[in-house]
Amino acid sequence: MYPIVLLSFFGIVTLFLGFSKSKNILLPATLLFLIIALAGNFLEWNKGPLLYFYDMLRVDNVTLAFNGIILLSAFMIFAISGGFQDNPDSEPAEYFGLMLFSLVGALMMVGFQHLIMLFIGVEILSVAMYVLTGSNKRNLRSNEAALKYFLMGAFATGFMLFGITLLYGATGSFKLEQIQGFASNMQVGSESYILYAGLLLLLIGMLFKVSAAPFHFWTPDVYEGAPTIFTTFMSTVVKTAGFAALFRLLSGSFTGVYGFWWIVIAAIAVLTLLVGNIGATSQNSFKRMLAYSGISHAGYLLIALTALSKPSQNAIIFYSLAYSLSTICAFGVLMLVSKEKTIGGQPNEYYDAFNGLAKQNPLLAFVLTVSMLSLAGIPLTAGFWGKFFIFTSAAERGIIWITVIAVLMSTVGIYYYFRVIISSYLKEGDLVKIRVAPFYKVILVLATFLTILFGLAPGIFEGLI
Amino acid sequence: MNNTYLPSDYLPILVQFFLAAAFIGGTMIVTHMIGPSRKSKLKDDPFECGIESVGDARTPISVKYFLVAILFVLFDVEVIFMYPWAVNFKELGMFGFLEMLLFMALLLSGFYYVIRKGVLNWEE
Amino acid sequence: MSASLLILIPLLPLIGFLINGIGFKTIPKGAVGIIGTLAVVASFVISVMTFNDFVASGSQPLVVPLFEWITVGDLRIPFSFQIDQLSLLMLMIITGVGSLIHIYSIGYMHHDEGFGKFFAYLNLFLFFMLLLVLGSNYVIMFIGWEGVGLCSYLLIGFWNKNTNYNNTARKAFIMNRVGDLGFLLGIFTIIATFGSVEYTEVFAQASSFSLEDPVIVTICLFLFIGAMGKSAQIPLYTWLPDAMAGPTPVSALIHAATMVTAGIYMVIRSNVLYSLAPSALEIVGIIGGLTAIFAASIGLLQNDIKKVLAYSTVSQLGYMFMGLGAMAYSASMFHVITHAFFKALLFLGAGSVIHAMSDEQDIRNMGGLRKKLPITFITFLIATIAIAGIPPFAGFFSKDEILAHVFEHNKLLWVIGVIGSLMTSFYMFRLLFLTFFGNFRGTHEQEHHLHESPASMTIPLVILAVLSAVGGFIGVPEALHGSHHLAEFMSPLYDAARQANPAGFEPTTLSHSEEYLLMGVSVAVALISAVVAYVMYVQKASVPAPDSAEKSGLQRLVYNKYYVDELYDNVFVKSTKTLSNILYSFGEFFIDLFVNAAVRLTSFSAKMLRKTQTGSTGDYVFAMVLGIVAILFWKLLL
Repeated sequence: MYPIVLLSFFGIVTLFLGFSKSKNILLPATLLFLIIALAGNFLEWNKGPLLYFYDMLRVDNVTLAFNGIILLSAFMIFAISGGFQDNPDSEPAEYFGLMLFSLVGALMMVGFQHLIMLFIGVEILSVAMYVLTGSNKRNLRSNEAALKYFLMGAFATGFMLFGITLLYGATGSFKLEQIQGFASNMQVGSESYILYAGLLLLLIGMLFKVSAAPFHFWTPDVYEGAPTIFTTFMSTVVKTAGFAALFRLLSGSFTGVYGFWWIVIAAIAVLTLLVGNIGATSQNSFKRMLAYSGISHAGYLLIALTALSKPSQNAIIFYSLAYSLSTICAFGVLMLVSKEKTIGGQPNEYYDAFNGLAKQNPLLAFVLTVSMLSLAGIPLTAGFWGKFFIFTSAAERGIIWITVIAVLMSTVGIYYYFRVIISSYLKEGDLVKIRVAPFYKVILVLATFLTILFGLAPGIFEGLI
Repeated sequence: MNNTYLPSDYLPILVQFFLAAAFIGGTMIVTHMIGPSRKSKLKDDPFECGIESVGDARTPISVKYFLVAILFVLFDVEVIFMYPWAVNFKELGMFGFLEMLLFMALLLSGFYYVIRKGVLNWEE
Repeated sequence: MSASLLILIPLLPLIGFLINGIGFKTIPKGAVGIIGTLAVVASFVISVMTFNDFVASGSQPLVVPLFEWITVGDLRIPFSFQIDQLSLLMLMIITGVGSLIHIYSIGYMHHDEGFGKFFAYLNLFLFFMLLLVLGSNYVIMFIGWEGVGLCSYLLIGFWNKNTNYNNTARKAFIMNRVGDLGFLLGIFTIIATFGSVEYTEVFAQASSFSLEDPVIVTICLFLFIGAMGKSAQIPLYTWLPDAMAGPTPVSALIHAATMVTAGIYMVIRSNVLYSLAPSALEIVGIIGGLTAIFAASIGLLQNDIKKVLAYSTVSQLGYMFMGLGAMAYSASMFHVITHAFFKALLFLGAGSVIHAMSDEQDIRNMGGLRKKLPITFITFLIATIAIAGIPPFAGFFSKDEILAHVFEHNKLLWVIGVIGSLMTSFYMFRLLFLTFFGNFRGTHEQEHHLHESPASMTIPLVILAVLSAVGGFIGVPEALHGSHHLAEFMSPLYDAARQANPAGFEPTTLSHSEEYLLMGVSVAVALISAVVAYVMYVQKASVPAPDSAEKSGLQRLVYNKYYVDELYDNVFVKSTKTLSNILYSFGEFFIDLFVNAAVRLTSFSAKMLRKTQTGSTGDYVFAMVLGIVAILFWKLLL
């Protein structure tokens, strides 16, 4: 609960800090805010389930773990943004303020215990993201992306809200336990249909946010159009929050009607895996490939939701963490490399930008390689265990066929993830010097280190929860 | 009084709904069918008489209008919160008062931000 | 004993590795050596403290959990260390001998440009080796096992500008991989059988198995394949003599004192399993015996100072396995300890000689060095006496104990062992006499350059010489009215095994007079060969013929190491190549068929998918609506 209050306040403070003459203070200040929020988050560790705001928000260790992942990712993203110093058009105070506000939304989604809280969280998060997507005001792609995101997001929100009202109509409550109580004991009849319809519509709204197929169409365009730093934010923080919310919703309210919804999620998971992985193979732009890779990872996470067995919770948490760390590394390297190599004044985000990276900057090439290996799920990286835990959760429930599809699709993944490794190690490129700020380097190395550490000893993490 | 209604009790409403829709639809179709329709260039002009029109009717309006309009709606809507508070002022007591102060502080800080950003500066 | 102190033992070398490994370009040479050595010495000091604590607190085995490592379903693999008699003894050897060799390396490697890299690798090796012996389960042992293999590879190929050296490094790595595969299969079988890899749990469960249970025998054989690779036993021994391409301190530390004894450590660690599988032990003993005599015979005619020592190492490792085969676990461990002392000393002495001779390794070009290198000579002499098994030096006690147990167990193996020790004594004295006696046979330039090594190199030699001389007194046999401290100390390790297979642990049936007789035979044999060697190489001053000289058939066979390398080359390498060629042309067709079809399918569907991504928001929303309608229709109306 503390980080929600703290970050709301800090968001306003950040906006006012923007009025000061020196813009250099912004980055350290926001990083400090995030550290305070992180500390505040773990103050409630092991304090047991706590309820806040008239029982609308629930804080337990699962909430705190998700919060931790979100805040840590945010910290790394803020740090590698470099305070937006290199772009004179940028407005760092507003960017940071909006990101802090959207973090508040994300934390609400993680801890909600009441559907209104979920809705408010989703909206706070999304509205900020619409604006940030279009923050590159003079870039047509960015504007287009923002408008697309907004239109489709509004459309999906409509469904979500409709779903919430139907659920209220069926059960007479917004609270998760009461919905759970109703759903577990209801007779098949007209109410059950209203509840089912409400659940499906709410799920559709949420699945849109985590870019599951067939509601994924916005993702490649928006991820590619948005400035890379906000794409990173979207593909880590937003996705983690979305899955935390889906997990809480399904495990908190609808275990009683598991038989009804699991096949829907399973079908969507398979479709998402197919679309994400196969779509990624035909891309020439690294950034667009990462967008598709984001879709495919949503597919893997959906498998854990489909199973909703005992290991699912840890699987989702571990996978989100592993995925966030690697994604931050991948986008971080992309930002550095594309800035140095431009085509017609625009950053070069194609695969060939990475040609010869191993000679130009071995550290970046290594960081990139580890992150790709982790995304592909190669052993000794965190990503491997993430996938492993997810597959175990499906096996626990006895859904083997979905694991088979997922494993097949992850072999497809190796193809497109390794393309960039091949580019950076085996292809020749111009000897461009790539400058990396020391702090930036620290963050990349830290993320890589954690990826390898969790790859070597996944139990460290598991012991924590 | 009978408080339970069967779906069939709503039938008159349904009938009226259909009648209303049919009336609107019917009138529109009938007028198109029976009225004479002659088209010419002059008749399709925006102005059939007077001076000839020049340029596009859709001139861009400064974005400031929208900003001010949105800000107006925003603050207007927020102030609505004060009505239920005022009605229940006594019951809510000190707690309600402090909450409202906090709310106003947040609102005012937003207002201050808007002014400092120069949104209300028309000439710039 | 606190866990934080314990964790420092492997952690310190790791820190040393990180400092030297990251900063080897910037840290000055002097600091590199000090950091690297200090890390090991500190970890030795902590090991000694741990040892004392252990003894003081009543010798209770202790498992110190560090963190949860891997949890998969019901299989829990914690990352924890086990402290007991065996791991402590290994700790003392590794850190103790390791410290001396680090000090020695400061002098020996001083002129090498890869000084920092060398110390970094050496520290990394120690880290993995300590992990190997400290881990409380087979998986941690495997990590260490692979890690030391990697470091061995890196250090054999340390002078990587030389292609030959790189090839020998690769050979070592590949041969070890063959063994590792067996080890890995063993671990999998253990997991499948016991559902755990923790030593305590595995051994507790194993006690309920009956003698000669096929599963246990299988596990033991798989594990032994791993040991054959790492400890250079027939047929996987050929990598070890080639590994002498690495710097001499590496040969001393990795290829004599520590890493190659990992296989023996593993067998002793798994003594409960092996005691339940006497047939597997029989195989272990036979392989050990064959290796002992086979390698010793090759050593008779080698002319490279390090090659002689390498074959001697293989042969001594064979003795240890022979002891294990007779269930003389403590005796084998005893030999591991004494062997670590005198073999490290021999290698370091050889290093000192090579250093003085400006990198000359052929003993035919040496001779008469005893006046120029007095300290090296005396220490080398002590080591030679020790390895030859002449009392009261260390090697006598340990080798004799093994031979006594083997005699009881299998008379034929004992004969092999005695012949082996005859050869050992001969080739070692041959080496000593050719190197240090007679006249100098090298070039003038070399003669002019001869000098005793610096103190940093001679001090470790002296310390090791003392240990080689008196090290045997930790295990004086009862027949000589001594007390066997080592056997008493290690005895609790076999409690479980004793229960499972009491027959194997019955006290010796040999009478004292029989034992005296056995001792007498082996000492006599050693002395006779020493005298023969003296007559041949000192009195007659004969020098082995140069490579070009004509040799008799048998001589040629032995000199060329029985053509084992060539045999392997023809049988395995060539046939693998042929097979792979056949598979290549055959399999390629089918595999290509599948792969290409999969690729086509993927790229076709990718093309289709691309068409759906039109970029128009209207289309996207339309697709979304279609999806929503489909879901609602499916779930609510159907």
